[in-house]
Amino acid sequence: MKRVQLQRWSSTVLSPRAQTASRLHQHVFPAGSRCQSTASPLQAESSAQEGLGDSGFEDVELMKHVRSAHRRKDMLKYPSPPVDAALNSAKLAALHARLYLPSRLPPQTLARALVDASADSNPDFNNESLATLGHDLLTYYTTEHLLCTYPRLPLTVIFAAMYAYAGPKTLAAMAREWGVEHASLPGGEVDPGLLQFRRVAPGSDLNVLYNKRTPRPYAAQKAWRMTVTSKIFYDDEFGDAIKGPENSGEGVTAELASATFVRAVMGAIYLHAGRPAAKRFFEQHFLSRHLNISQLFNFSQPARDLARLCARENFEPPVARIISETGRKSRHPVFVVGIFSGQDKLGEGAGASLIEARERAALAALKGWYLYSPLNVRVPSSMEEEGAAPWKPVYVDLGEVIV
Amino acid sequence: MPVKGIKTVTAARNGVGAFILQCKRLDFHYCNYGGSSRGMLAFLTQTLPNFARENPQIEIRVSPRHSKHPIIKGHYINGREKSICVRNLEPTDILAKAMILKDASGEKLKVQKKPVTSLNESVRGIWSPYHGDLRGV
Repeated sequence: MKRVQLQRWSSTVLSPRAQTASRLHQHVFPAGSRCQSTASPLQAESSAQEGLGDSGFEDVELMKHVRSAHRRKDMLKYPSPPVDAALNSAKLAALHARLYLPSRLPPQTLARALVDASADSNPDFNNESLATLGHDLLTYYTTEHLLCTYPRLPLTVIFAAMYAYAGPKTLAAMAREWGVEHASLPGGEVDPGLLQFRRVAPGSDLNVLYNKRTPRPYAAQKAWRMTVTSKIFYDDEFGDAIKGPENSGEGVTAELASATFVRAVMGAIYLHAGRPAAKRFFEQHFLSRHLNISQLFNFSQPARDLARLCARENFEPPVARIISETGRKSRHPVFVVGIFSGQDKLGEGAGASLIEARERAALAALKGWYLYSPLNVRVPSSMEEEGAAPWKPVYVDLGEVIV
Repeated sequence: MPVKGIKTVTAARNGVGAFILQCKRLDFHYCNYGGSSRGMLAFLTQTLPNFARENPQIEIRVSPRHSKHPIIKGHYINGREKSICVRNLEPTDILAKAMILKDASGEKLKVQKKPVTSLNESVRGIWSPYHGDLRGV
C-alpha cells in the first residue's frame, strides 16, 4: 500500500481561516516563540489593528486600550475563538506539551479539537470531522487488539470490552485525567485551551434529546428478543442502539463533549503526524489502561454452557467431583469441587454449598476456555509498519457456544 | 442468552504508557514594594523563563498581590491546589519550592505503608487452606 505524503496534508486539513492566520502570524511573531505565561490570549494586540483606523487619538496608551476593547468586541461575534488566538493561549500550549503531541500537530488544530459541534455549528471550525475519523481509528485499533489477543471471547464480552476501552465514559475520564477544563459557555472571547460546548439544560430528558434513530426494524417493539448477531448489523460497536444526530441547539452533556474531544485528538494526530504516531498514541494512552477482562463475564447457567461446549468440542461430558471439603455439618462448610472431562480437570471452585462450588468450578472452566490468548500476537495493522515480517494468519475461533 | 458482558471503564495507570504531569498550573504572586518579595522578583526575572522553558506542560501565571507575602500556588489535575509561601527566600530556594510543587501529585501527603500498590492481582495467589499438604499437629 502506498503511503500518503502526510506533511503535505497537514496544511490542507487546516481550515482556510487557520491557514491565513498562520501565514499572518509568521510576520507578526518571531518563529519559535512560546506563549506559556500569558494569562489570556486577549493580551496580544498586534494582530488586530486593521479594524481600527490609524486616525484618532495621539495618546498611545489610550489608543492601545481602545484597540484592545474593540478587539474584544470583535471576538464576541464569533461562536468559537478565532484561529490566531490558539497561538497565544498558554492553556493550549500546556495541553499540547502535557500530552506529548507531535510537533507537526499545530496548536490551531488542537484548538479546533476543543470546539464541539454544539458550540460552533460550522463544520470548518468544530471537531466533528476530526472526531469521526478518530472514532473510526479508535474502534478499529481496539477491535483488532481484542480479536487477536482473545480470539475466543463471546461477542457480548467483546462489546463490553470495547465499551471499556473506547466507550464515551472512558474517553470522558481520560479527558479529565489530561487536565482539560470546560468553558462555562462557548464564545469567541473564551480561551481556546478550554473545552467548548453548549450544555444541556438542567432537567431535560436525555433519552428524548438523543433520539434513537436506529436502522433496526421493529425497534419500537421493546419486548421483542434482540439476538446478538443482529447487534452486529444494526447497532454500534458497543452493542448499543445507534443514536441519531443530536437536535441542533439543544446542547450536549459534558461526558459526550469530552469523549468527542478525545476522539478528535486521535483524528488530528492521524492527519498531521501519520499512522505510526496515531498507533503509538493509541497504545500509550488507551491500551495501557487497566482492564481485567475476566471480570466482564456474566454467566446465567455456567454448568449448562460448559456441557454444551464439551459436546461441541467432542470432549467427554463434564463431571463435577468433590476434591476436598470441611465442616459439612457445621455452620460454615467449605467444599472444593473440580469439574472433570474424563481425566482432565477443566476447572475448580470453592463454595459454601455443593451447588455453589460446582457453579464456580464451571465458571472457572468456561473462563479458562474463553480467555485463551495465543502467544506473540500480531495485529493486522502491524503490517503497515516498514519492514514488517510476512503475515501469519491469526487464530480464529468457532465462536461462543450457542445455547 | 448464555453469557452477558458487564460494562465497566478501564482504570488509568499513569506512567505505564504515557506519563501525564499532574501539576497543570503554577501561579506566582509577588508584591512590588514589600521587602519579602525581593528574592521572588529576582526569581521572576532571572530563573522563571528557564523554568518555564524546561516545563512546557505547566501553564504559568505571574500576577502581583499588593502588600502580601509572595507565594507560589500549584493547581493539579485532580482539582486540588497547593500553595507555598516564599517570603524572604533566595531565588535558588524559590526554585526548589517550585520544583516541589511541580513534582507533587496533588494528593494529600500520606504514609505509604505497603511497598507496592498495584491493580494487578498477585502472581503467587492467595493462600488457600484447602489445598496443599496437610500438616500434622
